[in-house]
Parts: sequence; C-alpha cells; structure tokens
Amino acid sequence: MLKAVVNRCSLVGALMVALVAVAPLLAHAGEVLTVWSHEADEPAKVAFRELAARNLEKQHPGLQVKITWYEKGGLYTALKTALPAGQGPDVFYLEPDQTEYITNGYIIPLDTLVDWSKIYDWARKVWTIDGKTWGLPQEAYTDELYYNKDLLKKLGVALPPNAQFTQAQFLDLVKKARAANITPIAQGVGDRPYPGAYVLAEALLRKLGTDDYGKLLHGQLSYDDPRVVAVFTWVKQLVDAGAYPKNFMTLKLGESHYYFYQKPGALMLPMGSWYTGRAFVPVDKGGQPQDFPLGIMQFPAMDQGACPECKTLAVGASFAINAASKQKQLAAEYLNMMSTPDMGKRWIETVYLQSAVKTDVGAFSGPYASYFQELMARQQGAKYFIGMPIDILKGQCKDTFTQVMNSAFPGGLLPVDKAVSMMNQACYKK
Amino acid sequence: MPYRHPTMTPPARSPELPDAHPAPRRKRLALSPVVVFLAPALVIYFGFIVYPVLRTFYNSVHVIQPRNVVQFVGLANFTALLETDPVFWKAVGNTAVFAVIGTIADVVGGLLLALCLYVKVPLARVWRVVWFTPVLMSYVVVGIIWVWIYDYDWGVVNLVLRWLGLGALEHSWLGDPQTALWAVLVTHLWKWLGFNMIICLAALYALPTEVLGAAELDNCGWIAKLVYVIVPMLRPTLVNLLVLSFIGKMMIFDLVWIMTGGGPLWSTETVSTYVYKRAFDWNTFDLGYPSAVAVLWSVIILVFVLLMTRLLSQRDKLEF
Repeated sequence: MLKAVVNRCSLVGALMVALVAVAPLLAHAGEVLTVWSHEADEPAKVAFRELAARNLEKQHPGLQVKITWYEKGGLYTALKTALPAGQGPDVFYLEPDQTEYITNGYIIPLDTLVDWSKIYDWARKVWTIDGKTWGLPQEAYTDELYYNKDLLKKLGVALPPNAQFTQAQFLDLVKKARAANITPIAQGVGDRPYPGAYVLAEALLRKLGTDDYGKLLHGQLSYDDPRVVAVFTWVKQLVDAGAYPKNFMTLKLGESHYYFYQKPGALMLPMGSWYTGRAFVPVDKGGQPQDFPLGIMQFPAMDQGACPECKTLAVGASFAINAASKQKQLAAEYLNMMSTPDMGKRWIETVYLQSAVKTDVGAFSGPYASYFQELMARQQGAKYFIGMPIDILKGQCKDTFTQVMNSAFPGGLLPVDKAVSMMNQACYKK
Repeated sequence: MPYRHPTMTPPARSPELPDAHPAPRRKRLALSPVVVFLAPALVIYFGFIVYPVLRTFYNSVHVIQPRNVVQFVGLANFTALLETDPVFWKAVGNTAVFAVIGTIADVVGGLLLALCLYVKVPLARVWRVVWFTPVLMSYVVVGIIWVWIYDYDWGVVNLVLRWLGLGALEHSWLGDPQTALWAVLVTHLWKWLGFNMIICLAALYALPTEVLGAAELDNCGWIAKLVYVIVPMLRPTLVNLLVLSFIGKMMIFDLVWIMTGGGPLWSTETVSTYVYKRAFDWNTFDLGYPSAVAVLWSVIILVFVLLMTRLLSQRDKLEF
C-alpha cells in the first residue's frame, strides 16, 4: 500500500517536473511575431534581420518570427491602411521623418523596452520626442560623394589632400568630364524624392553651417538669403555645364548605381553611405565589379562657407512596436536581438554601412575593409548635421522640395529665382 | 355540349356558386434561395463598393486628429481645396486635358483602326492581334516599357530620331513639363486603342448590309458613306465608348504613377495621383482632405457624364 502511494507520488512528481521543464517550450508554441520590413532588394540587410529572427526563435522554441519584405512605397501604404484598422504587424520598419505614427498613437515608447546602453546617444536622440524614445535606430549613414579613381586620373585631376575640392575646382572638374564625354554625376530622380538634391543640400550645409541650415529647413530662414541664392547659382552653373545625365528625370536610384559603376559609367555618384547595399553584391545581382576603383571625396567646400567640414549624418532604417501588438515584450526582444554589439559588428561587416549600435570599428575585416577604412577617414574632423531635408520637411514644403530642389532645378527646368521663389512660398514661415 | 379540352379556361361562374374547378394556384417564388445566391455578391458589393463610398463622404467632412480623434469640420476641407490649393487646380487642368483629348483620340482612333479591319486591309488578321495585344497588358508593364522607350540615352524614340538624322529633335520626353503629359497620353492611347477598335469592329459587322449596299448603289463615296451612313448608325456605340473612355481618363492613376509620379513640376499630376499623395505620401493619417478631393471629383465626373449623355444622345430613332 505504502509502495503504491510512493509510486504514485513519484509519478506525479515526475510529471510535474516534466511540465515545468516543458512549459517554457510551450509558452510560445504556435506564436507568431510579425515584422514588416523595407529593403527587400538588399540581400545583406535581409540576411541580417532574418538572422536576428532565427536567433530569437532559438531563444523561444515554438515561436515563429515572420518577416514580410516590402519596398518602401508599398510598405508605407500597407501600414497606412492596416494601422488605423487596429491591425498591422507587431514590429515594423520606419524612418525618422514619420512622426505621424507617434502623433496618432500607433507606436509605443521604447524607453523601458530596449537596452539603450548599446545605442549611440545621438542616434537615440533622433527618435526622442517629448521626452520619450519611439523608434529603435538601426542604420546610420552619411551623405558621401563616391567617385571613380581611374576616371579622375584620366581627366588629369588630382584629389586634394583633404579630399575636398573648392567650388571653382569642382565646377572645372564637371566641365572637364563633360568635355571628355564622361557623365560627371550619375544621378536620377525617377523613383525617389531626394537624390537630386544631394549636391545642392550639401552645398547649403557647408555654406550656412549647421544652425542656419537647420533654420532653413525648418522654415525660419528665407531662401532669398544671399548665401542661399549664391549656392543655388553655383549649382545652376553645374547643371548648365552638363553635370547630370540627360535621363536624370527618369533614371531610378538602382539604375543610377549601375550607371555609375557599370554602364555607361560616370565620374561621381552622390549617395548615402548605404550605397554599399546595392554595390557590394555580386555583379550579376547589380553590384559593382570587384576591381572597381571606388573612392570617396568630400562634397566641395563653399566660398566663404561657414562649415566646410560639415556632413549630413542621418538615421535611416529604424523599427518600432505597433501599439496594437499583443506581443510587445517579444517584439522588444526582437529589437534588442538586432542591437547587440555582435550584430552591430555583423551589420558593418556585411552591409558595409554605419550602424546606430555601438560597435568597435577598429577591428573591421573583410573584403571591403579598405572601403570602410576610407569611409571612416572621411569622417575625421567632421561636424555633423543630423537629418536629411526629406526627414525634416513636411506637407506642401516637402512636396515642393521633391518637385523643385530634387527634380526640376537640378534637371535644368527652373532658373534660380523661380526655384528660390517656389521654395520660399512653400516653406518659409514669415 | 361542346367538347372542352381539359386545359381550356372554364366558363365564368355565378359568384354565388362555389367553384367546382378552382384555378390552379401560382407557385410563389421562394425568397430564401434568392437571398442565399445573391448574398455573397451583395456582401462583397456593399463591403468593397458601397461602404468605402459612404465612408469617403463621411471622411470628407471630418478631420482625423492625432490619436484617431475625428472632428467634424463641415465644408472646411472643400473650402480649403477650392481656395488655397494650387496643386489641385494644376491636377484638374492636367486631367481635363488628358480626358478630353484622350477620349476623342481614343474613340476616333479606335474607329479608324476598326474601319481598316472592316475593309480587310492586307494582313488584317495580324493587325487585329497586334493592335489588341496592348489591351491585355497591365498598366505597370506598359508604363515600365514606355519609360524605357522614352529614355533619353537608350530609348527607342530618340534612337530612331538619331538614326533618321533628326538628332536635334531628341528630347527628355518624360522629363520636360511641355512634353511629359503628351508622352503619357500617347502611351495610354497605345494601350487602349485596341479595345475601342474591337468594339467598333463588332458594331460595324452588326450594321445592316442592305443600307450600306443602298449607299453604294447611290454612288456614295467612302468618306460620305462614313460620315452620313456609318457614323450615325454607330452613334449609340460611339457615345457609350466616349462616356466610358471619359470616365476612365478622368480617374487615370496607374500609368501616371508608374511613368512620372506626377512630375516634373506637377505637369502630369492628375486628381487621382494627388489624392493618393495627400492620403499616403504626406506625413499624416488624416484622410479628410484627400476624401474631400475624391468626393468633389466624383461629383464633377458625374455631372460631366450626365451632360455628355444628354448632349450626345440620339433624339431621332434611325429606321432602316
């Protein structure tokens, strides 16, 4: 009798131990964490975020992290329809200009959910509004001026020691390239609202300095300011000298990369340092040739410019947690999974792009180590302005920026006074 | 007593006498199977057509504030639209040009192609396939193909011009505000001419041959036959095509979005692309203003369609 009781108790005890052991396994059984992300066409970023997903699944057996990949336009439309309906994914990609998710209560603050000790303070600040941090910055980038070293040599021009031409030297370079039948700047605005404004915006930054440039973008400085007009005038000279390709208005972003390093080839390509996402992939997937003589120069210094060492630094890819998510804790774990120092290093070594995650870049290795070293060299002594114009401008001003500074003005369709007047009308808050 | 077939109607009887042979009762149509078969379609119709329309009207008189707070603003959205929105008026102008010229070109072009096939030009069967094939292609595919065709450096249009020694005429067709809208319109015509052609061809084959024969006997030339005989007889078909084409062009979105996105400098911005931008590209969740644009435009289309139908409707019935 006693033996039977002991046997039964042992069995019950064994069952309870088994249940306790299995419970964590069952805790997330059948659970799906949904993520919607941009950059479907960038294999390195896809691999990075999928790796974070698999790592989270290993930590939570039974959990499935399902990432749906989009291109940006499609993602934003899907979110704009899903979120007001109380649906959408648990985690989604967004960029710092999308403050409407905050004002409409569709995302939650991450202050207590994310390990911020692993994120650069300046990157966190981009997403800090009204004392709360709303998005996890992942990607940081600077605006760079890539160039073909061999073509520069062919034109008989030497890059100055500080890798920065003056206004006059840059204009001269453009003219020389055009005379040699080389497209000076491979740029197109066929499918993006900002790349045509790279040269103009960077010139304005260097001319005005960070404070006045910020005022200009926030509508507190008139475009009629003589310094602004001077920059517009200089860029008009570049345009008239044939700086941009004839198919500038329809050339797409991906095509401009190909135009630069493949066919027909161009001297320069102003681009965010996420250039690598498209360039450092196999050639048959649209990447640059292995032996492409890629160089990075600084955007030209402006005459009497307030800040020739200024550069635009921006946060790009970020992630937020849907306020309607029923798995906020798991969602936060996914964000943290992408933000470990190891993942930060992995990001740099596979995506070849700066990260908002604190990472030791000194030990960087890999086939593109020399590129990254040159990129870091171009950051030496830089004074940063945080944010691209497209991140800061809103509403009608943003639409006008897209049509004027990004498209029509560098496309040679507008004279200086008309461009200035249109920007003032849409953006300047008297 | 005369023989009466069992199915013959029985003679009328005096009201006082009971009816020895009551008339068979008509079977009442059961409602439940009708409802069951109609329900799925009605649910889809109400869910995807009626509700969105009603919701758009509702949104147009509201503003969606942050935190999903909805505020009734009456006609404020419409007032702002009509008084302070230059891009809207630019879009209206572009859409009007596209709709009027495109509609006329579409129907006239379709009729001419149909006439070519009707008179059996050489290789008529091949041409019928060639002219109709673009109708089967999606707007996205058509738009991408024509962006390449119009490309300045490697596009077919400029390549042909250079080959013909007309390099001076090469142009950035989609990059110039003067030519972008016309370039998109040409693309649209390329896609839809085949559809109008097929409809007109069917209508031509349905014409009574004796009328056409009589015209020929009267030594009526082809132009006169076309103007005074064929077109009047095709009038109902042509009016329908004009109305359908007009409606389609007043709502044009896909092709413009793919080819130019409304640029350069809003020269190809249409009302539909502007509604989309205000709804999804501006940093806001407020659908009130774009809904107001959509409502106003729907009313304008309706008014124009009613006017067109009234003006073009045939007063006298043709008899032949």
